[in-house]
Amino acid sequence: MSENVEKVDSSGDARRRILNIAVSTVLLESGFEAADKMSLETLTEILQCFLTEVGNSARGYCELSGRVEPVLGDIVMALINMGISLQNIEQYAARPNRHVIQPPQQAPPPRT
Amino acid sequence: MGSPSVGMEEDNGAGHALSDFLLQLENYNPSIPDSVVAYYLNASGFESQDPRLIRLIALASQKFLSDIANDALQHCKMRTSSQMTQSSKNQKGPKEKKYVMTMEDLVPALQEYGITAKKPHYFV
Repeated sequence: MSENVEKVDSSGDARRRILNIAVSTVLLESGFEAADKMSLETLTEILQCFLTEVGNSARGYCELSGRVEPVLGDIVMALINMGISLQNIEQYAARPNRHVIQPPQQAPPPRT
Repeated sequence: MGSPSVGMEEDNGAGHALSDFLLQLENYNPSIPDSVVAYYLNASGFESQDPRLIRLIALASQKFLSDIANDALQHCKMRTSSQMTQSSKNQKGPKEKKYVMTMEDLVPALQEYGITAKKPHYFV
């Protein structure tokens, strides 16, 4: 599945490609064998949007209470405000067949 | 972490459970690498030195996607099972089931989460 993703979106930037792989991983874990390009791309967009929105919202709650560094409460408020349920997140974290995507390699600083 | 937000004390225990859970995230790796999540969070103005918060967000996003995928899978199973009973009259070969995610299943699943997705007129 991942080589298919590579082919689909090789022109996109590296982080977007990793989100693509993450979506594919979640789909594989939940029992899908394959996905068409449009739904994969839609879910990737949703994931990217989710992360951006949580960041925005948590930053807002953090600054509202006069802090610079966000704390757990800000993130929880942001997630609750977005209607995301955190009910069974511990069970989800401990699910048996989970894959971990290798973090992208950082390019060495150019030598001049 | 010395001054948690005021709201946390009020939501009877849920906040405590989550802060306990946060401690477990110290040596836990979600599927999405920290650096990628941190990039998107930083892009929207969120900057944290605590990797556990980033991992919590990564987990929450993964769970959100997983819930959507599960719903879509149910749609897919229902759709294919109704097709299978129709086609089984003609051929009785034991076909192994392969679930393919399509927009047909994804759109009603997203609808339940309040996301309206439409098939674009063109898609490259």
